[in-house]
Amino acid sequence: MKDYAGIALTTPVSFGYAKQSPHGAAWFIGSTLRQLLAGSGLGPDDIDGLAISSFSLGADSAITLTQHFQLSPRWIEQLPYGGASGILALRRAARAIQAGDADIIACIGGDGATHRAFESIAANFSNFTIDSSFPYGGGGPNAAFAMITQRYMDEFDARREDFGAISVAQRYNANHYPGALLNHKTLSLEQYMAARPIASPLHLLDCVMPCAGGEGFLVMSEQRARSLGLDWCRILAADELHNAHRDDDIQLRGGWTEYADRLWNRAGLGPGEVDMLQTYDDYPVISMLQMEDLGFCAKGDAPGWVRDTDLRFDGSGPQARKLPHNTSGGQLSVGQAGAAAGYLGVVESMRQLTGSAGNNQVEQARHAMVSGFGMINYDRGLCSAAAILARSER
Amino acid sequence: MSTTPTMRSRLKQNRPSLRKLARPPKQRTALGSAFNAANLPVALALQHCRDCGTVQYPPRELCRQCLGDALVWRSTSGSGRLVSSIELHHSLWEYFKRRLVEKPWPVASVRLDCGVIVFAHLATETFGDPALPAGTAVQVFTHTDCSLNAVMIAVAADIPVDSRSQRHAITASLGLLEPAIKPEGI
Repeated sequence: MKDYAGIALTTPVSFGYAKQSPHGAAWFIGSTLRQLLAGSGLGPDDIDGLAISSFSLGADSAITLTQHFQLSPRWIEQLPYGGASGILALRRAARAIQAGDADIIACIGGDGATHRAFESIAANFSNFTIDSSFPYGGGGPNAAFAMITQRYMDEFDARREDFGAISVAQRYNANHYPGALLNHKTLSLEQYMAARPIASPLHLLDCVMPCAGGEGFLVMSEQRARSLGLDWCRILAADELHNAHRDDDIQLRGGWTEYADRLWNRAGLGPGEVDMLQTYDDYPVISMLQMEDLGFCAKGDAPGWVRDTDLRFDGSGPQARKLPHNTSGGQLSVGQAGAAAGYLGVVESMRQLTGSAGNNQVEQARHAMVSGFGMINYDRGLCSAAAILARSER
Repeated sequence: MSTTPTMRSRLKQNRPSLRKLARPPKQRTALGSAFNAANLPVALALQHCRDCGTVQYPPRELCRQCLGDALVWRSTSGSGRLVSSIELHHSLWEYFKRRLVEKPWPVASVRLDCGVIVFAHLATETFGDPALPAGTAVQVFTHTDCSLNAVMIAVAADIPVDSRSQRHAITASLGLLEPAIKPEGI
């Protein structure tokens, strides 16, 4: 596979997180675009590529949005891949720039959250969902993830406290990230354990909070980023695999197992050499699958590994081994803004690697592993993606 | 994503305060309706491929194995093994919300001997031991719920479900044959 040399990821933007909003997806996507332009000093006509991910566009699509925002892109993508959208967007955008199909691509994930909108998305998610999963309790994604969590706990002797370690450390990170919806609330393990049950074994603080918001970034050549005076980061390696391990009874591993080694080799790094890990954390068990499948620990060892690892952004925890994880608080504390959640880890890593994170800045951040997971169509998530990003000196 | 007016109006009716009677989700795709029809005369009918013999679920337009369209609905054994079981304490759907006031709603994922994974309402009281580890032998049948859709129900492997009246009794015990009633509703 060709490398991603010469490609710059710039201008990380997180916009407007709200638990509920009267505004539609186009408002969040367009506002994110406005901030991308303001942050980069570019005008609308400089954007000649557009990648959009959203669940709540309704009758609209990436192409109809071009008229909303008066853009004339010569390259366009709509990436309905949920939690893998951000990494899939950066991969496709990078290839388009390398091929000369576009010069500056805006990649945006954004969703609204009108009254009871989540209910409609969950009930209509896919044909399999409509016929064969939603009628069984109407639990939405909680049901499938509860089954995965229950089986994971049985197979690997994981305890609720182990999942809690992830949620609690992420909340600490979110307390230092003003954009997080739960920025103002601290969380202790006791509070985590006392949360009400939602879909046992899942309790309230295991479940992401659906919300509105937008996440976006620009992809361009390094020369272009340099001439615009922007800070950027590079893609050392990136990969994806979908509907992997399709004969497994239940999802205790994802597609990452099939390409993690290749990814580390291409980046010339090992799991001990990245300065942060951003996993897709719609439920803590899914973060554990990523830690295992990406090589941070062996299959089934994640409960012990998170006990012995300080996941806080500033390394202030008691454990000797440090690995800042979901440094803005992840979706569990920031909120899951639909498809924007698939961009959250990428955008946060870009802030960290360009030194623009603010209060939750990881010191000496040079390399980040970002991972994506998406689309519970029936009993398992279909998309897997991962990327290793690096800081770049101007 | 389906955005038919039917679903929109149905979601509107799902508002908690408006209805006296709440029923399980009515909406199905055309294939889901075919599943309903095929399951009326038998305990369990699934799509079989006439060409390669593959059994599949959820229902699809084509055979998942050979991509042929020689699919037929055939009566299928419901014996299988539990993959995972959970209890819902929260639901997005009004019918289940009302049922959940009394007790959690158990749901299971089952690998049938014919190879498919099915989600099913779990009749926990049919099992002697309340601990249900993965691999527990179960059997799955379908019954029409009060939204007139065929739904899967998983029971212990030693429970007799050969006769229609036996299956009816189990379905009734789960509350699936009656709407959830809110006396003060309109």
